[in-house]
Amino acid sequence: MSELFFQQILNWITLGSVYALIAVGFSLLFGVLNIIHFSHGDVSLLAPFLALTVISTLGSMLGDLNSLSVFVLALLVAIAITGLIGVLLDLVVIQRFRKAPAMMALVATVALGIVLRELIRHLFPNGSNPHAFPRLVEGDVMVGSLSVPLFSLVVIAVSVLVVCALFFMLNSTRLGLHIKAVSQDRDAARLMAINPGRIFRATFFVASAIGAVGGLFFSSYAGMARFDFSIDVGLIGFSAAVVGGLGSMPGAIIGSLLIAGLDTFVQAVVPNGASYRLVFVFLLVIGVLVFRPAGLMGRTLVEKV
Amino acid sequence: MTRSEHSARAASNPVAGMATVVVVQLAGAVFLRQFLLIEDWRLVIGLLLIFGAALVLMERVPSLEARVEAAFARHSRLALLLGMAIVLGFPFVLEGNTYALHLCVISMLYAVLALALNFQLGSANIPNFATGASYGIGAYASALLALNFGVSFWVALPVAAVVATIFGFLLGIPSMRTRDSYLALVTIAFGVVIHQLLNNLEFTGGPNGLVGIPVPELFGHSFGDPLVIFGQELPSQANFYYLSALLVLISIVFARRLHDSRVGLAWNALRTDELAARCQGINVTWYKVLAFAVDAFLAGFAGTIYAFYVGFISPDNFTFLVSVTIMTMVIAGGMDNILGVIVGAFLLTLLPEKLRAFSDYRILFFGVTVIAFLMIRPQGLFPQRLRRYGD
Repeated sequence: MSELFFQQILNWITLGSVYALIAVGFSLLFGVLNIIHFSHGDVSLLAPFLALTVISTLGSMLGDLNSLSVFVLALLVAIAITGLIGVLLDLVVIQRFRKAPAMMALVATVALGIVLRELIRHLFPNGSNPHAFPRLVEGDVMVGSLSVPLFSLVVIAVSVLVVCALFFMLNSTRLGLHIKAVSQDRDAARLMAINPGRIFRATFFVASAIGAVGGLFFSSYAGMARFDFSIDVGLIGFSAAVVGGLGSMPGAIIGSLLIAGLDTFVQAVVPNGASYRLVFVFLLVIGVLVFRPAGLMGRTLVEKV
Repeated sequence: MTRSEHSARAASNPVAGMATVVVVQLAGAVFLRQFLLIEDWRLVIGLLLIFGAALVLMERVPSLEARVEAAFARHSRLALLLGMAIVLGFPFVLEGNTYALHLCVISMLYAVLALALNFQLGSANIPNFATGASYGIGAYASALLALNFGVSFWVALPVAAVVATIFGFLLGIPSMRTRDSYLALVTIAFGVVIHQLLNNLEFTGGPNGLVGIPVPELFGHSFGDPLVIFGQELPSQANFYYLSALLVLISIVFARRLHDSRVGLAWNALRTDELAARCQGINVTWYKVLAFAVDAFLAGFAGTIYAFYVGFISPDNFTFLVSVTIMTMVIAGGMDNILGVIVGAFLLTLLPEKLRAFSDYRILFFGVTVIAFLMIRPQGLFPQRLRRYGD
């Protein structure tokens, strides 16, 4: 019993970490741009496909190599390319909606997500079918009498590291302070000789790259890459950011843990829960929004005249 | 030359005005007929180019546009009667082509859905991604009534619409406190919840859906039988053609009355500036919830007709992608322009069917269409017209 319980706790934190990596991207982008980049989940889940492409090209170019180093290299390349794709999307599409009503940017990025998914389906060889995606690391570690999958430990450790690095970057580096300045007041930041366009691009790169880490972990966790993963993962990541309060980084993490907790709990306890999990997750989202419209950690903006 | 001078000229020459109305309407009907009947995709592209050229011409020569508009305003009764005659006679010129008739029915159902969403997206700028869900609720409610309780189509129709409206109200409740992105998430979440429930619940038949929905009857005439009018036999789809045409007519009347009324003005005020609208004494919350309810009401109707027409429904007919498709129709056609929304619905239903060679790229096409329109022409093909009271 206790072992099963421990397994579930581990599942919960692993899944929560993966969701958090995607949710912080939503929150970061919203904080800076003040629009929802709805296709962020789809951008993040491009990474597994990019990694698979890199692996197969490297394999054919260099012949047989030490597989682990090729794999890690492929992951890093995929993360970098995903970051650049985020910047590219901003330059081509999202940039146009800076001054438009929030609704237009939202609808446009929903459509952009659909376009990205369909592009994977059509451009990747056999894109409609699931593709096997390797686990990052195999094996278990014994802690006392419990065996812990090494994979979960790696996911949790890397996620914590990435999030810590993000916090450090936001709070203690020049770029981070510029990002914060632009998110607080774009015009005032411009007066302080900060180029908002450059900051937007940097934010897109950082958010998309972190999302890519999440996307790679998710595919690795599921054991495969599918073009339609991003529907669920993107929605859950966005929901986590909203439940926590858009624009708040700690909120995004809390929201992710909350949603992952409910997800794991429903799958473990409710009969036939796996097929109902999204129902519970989204009822939670609706419930939170009804009672706390700005999310758990969000600041409520009161508009009065 | 100003618009009033043009109207004055059109008014002074009623024959020319009437001729304009007749020519425009007949041209539209002939265009649609050719579009439905041709098979070769190169010809489809050709027809599209003609359509585009006509639009560009109207845009470039405003006097022409003003003339057509004035003629329609002056001879609105003639336009209405002729329009009805064309719609009634249309199945007779389709050469008994059941597929073309089927496409007409589906297009008209989508036109109703797009008009429904237009109240929110177009008039009030509320991003609602749950129209597909309301459509599904209507379809399932009526189908379950018919299958389990033997309720006839004519009773199930209003009941399903009411059920969908109740759900619409429920969905509207979170909108009292949330807006923009948050509200959009609520509607997406609602759509996903409905889809998953339909997919998993026992009594909705799970992923297999509901099969064997009975064919409606009217005065002893079954809608499954061919329709015989004046000795002319029309395929059985014609029954549903006339039914959905009636629904489109009702929706247009509904939409026009609402658009021109205080409600429509209030929605537009909301869209422009919610805070200012509130200051003008508009009950913002109520109008938002109302927009949700109206949307769900019309979508429920369309869902019922769809369920009884096809006779088989499954959760996959009512996914998030359906909602996005409907949204594409509203955006491409023209926000808050009734004609535009209907044209958008027809175009986006027929195009993927006609360009079968590219049918695999259909969803991609919808996505690119939305982005392109929002970037290049956010007002859509037919922008919103100024309200013209009293003429």
